[in-house]
Amino acid sequence: MKLKNLSEKILRSVKSKGFKYIDLPSVIETNHIVQRSGENFRKFIFTFIDQNGSELCLRPDLTIASCLRYLENNLKGKEKIFYSGQAYRKSQNKKDSIIRDQIGFEIIGSKNEKNDDKEIINTALKSLANLQYSTGTLKIGNVEIFNLLISKLDIPKRWKLRLSRHFWREKYFNDLLKRLETNSDVDPTIVEVDKKRYLKMLKGNQQSVVAGRSIQEILKRFDNKIKDPRRASKGKNVSKIIKEFLKINCPINKAAEKLNSFFKKNKINLIVDPKYFPTSDNKISKLNVEFSASFGRQLEYYTGMVFKIDIKKNSKSINVINGGRYDKLISDLGSKKEVPAVGAALSLNY
Amino acid sequence: MKNLINIGIPSKGRLKNDVLKIFQKNKLKLSSERGERDLFGYIKKLPNIKVVYLHAREIIERLGDGSLDLGFSGLDLLKESEVNIQKKINVVKKYNFGKATLVIAIPDPWIDVQTIADLEEIAFEFKDKKNKMLRVATKYPNLTGEFLFSKGVTQFKLVNSLGATETYPFTGSSEIITDITSSGETLKANNLRVLKDGEILKSQACMMVSKLSTKKTELKRILNLLSK
Repeated sequence: MKLKNLSEKILRSVKSKGFKYIDLPSVIETNHIVQRSGENFRKFIFTFIDQNGSELCLRPDLTIASCLRYLENNLKGKEKIFYSGQAYRKSQNKKDSIIRDQIGFEIIGSKNEKNDDKEIINTALKSLANLQYSTGTLKIGNVEIFNLLISKLDIPKRWKLRLSRHFWREKYFNDLLKRLETNSDVDPTIVEVDKKRYLKMLKGNQQSVVAGRSIQEILKRFDNKIKDPRRASKGKNVSKIIKEFLKINCPINKAAEKLNSFFKKNKINLIVDPKYFPTSDNKISKLNVEFSASFGRQLEYYTGMVFKIDIKKNSKSINVINGGRYDKLISDLGSKKEVPAVGAALSLNY
Repeated sequence: MKNLINIGIPSKGRLKNDVLKIFQKNKLKLSSERGERDLFGYIKKLPNIKVVYLHAREIIERLGDGSLDLGFSGLDLLKESEVNIQKKINVVKKYNFGKATLVIAIPDPWIDVQTIADLEEIAFEFKDKKNKMLRVATKYPNLTGEFLFSKGVTQFKLVNSLGATETYPFTGSSEIITDITSSGETLKANNLRVLKDGEILKSQACMMVSKLSTKKTELKRILNLLSK
């Protein structure tokens, strides 16, 4: 009953900000998830086969269900929507519940990105006012800054793509940095052996296909790889810059200044405007507002601003709201065009 | 019948012969009433022991549900089984036979692919440029999925194979495979190459017991007799 009352209060807060309530299906096609997130996501979802042989799953996440709705109903233009319900996910941690009660709100299809980011954060703050807590933190990050930094570094293109792709997987990302420092992905002895083969293949039919890849494609990538201009010392320096960047953590009003001095020091041609961030207030009601350069790694689909709100209740820190921008999610799910989207979810299980 | 012990032995191949040698070495004579094709056996002078000849995968399953008390099978098959089954089995001894390695193999002409880092890039190329998932054929979907993901390869689709997995990349059924190999010769003969860092698991034959049976006194006795 308590949960229901709280949920209703929060829903009223979100509605008062001009969001429209929608219902979402509980079951979605597994393929949407596996195509987007890869086979291993199966570990977290509850799947089953229906009478027609289609593989379905319980929605692991309300955002995916909502983006699918936008896509499948062929919606166009701006939508401000909210929804509530359960998401079902397996967890590695036995203590975690498989059922998660959530309330979510989103702005989809609007090009006014900076304003929308602010509006989502403000809606999150308004919802939060319904909860009782002593203090808390609003942490803000932005995956875009990380990707811009990577694009400016002196490393081969394939390394840039690799680092951007794996930003969200911290452990593997650290392995990548180690590899970048040692340049261990190009073995000179093997390259020498294969170069003979390369020359031989160059003379053969380049259009022929081996296991889904044409000889031309294979030779082109081989050629790019052996031309990797990077020396180990260069890799070490790049890795140092990335590590230093990821350590930047400060009150939000210092974020632009800190980042700009970091870019200057490392001779990286980037400048961040203080207005880039959705707020410059270090304190909003009972929350301390912080910027963290490494934040945004918990979910693969974020592409820009990310935030989370942790509150303190009975001296325990609890994560209650997570949100951010995911401009590529709808196109990853099958749309031909990218559709801007930003949203947040509030967890009712704490 | 509380103290009746069921022992699972692989029903064919080299693994069966090597396991039978353990019994011989420990002077335990295995017999079957209805001759060589009989899937049940017994050990002379040990009336409480029943031997069942089963597929090596089946041995793991039956140890998991407790219908076998002791069994011989490969470490690869144990590690591939579902978590709920693995939790119910103890490995008591590892042997020097049945040695093999589960590896990732790619078509040999993919000369630009040497490491898993290369494979990770190729997987993304399949997704971004070809709008397809890289397909991995395997008899070991659990171990393969876990391993690839731990190495950063997230964009792939598993294709379950029951045999002759080496043919899959050349029949359009998958692009790459994972398979068990001891010398690598079969892979080589089929135009496949193991990735430099593509070793998923080193396996060997093991003696295993069901955790549901550990209190049976007769089990302790037979474990002693087999470990001389």
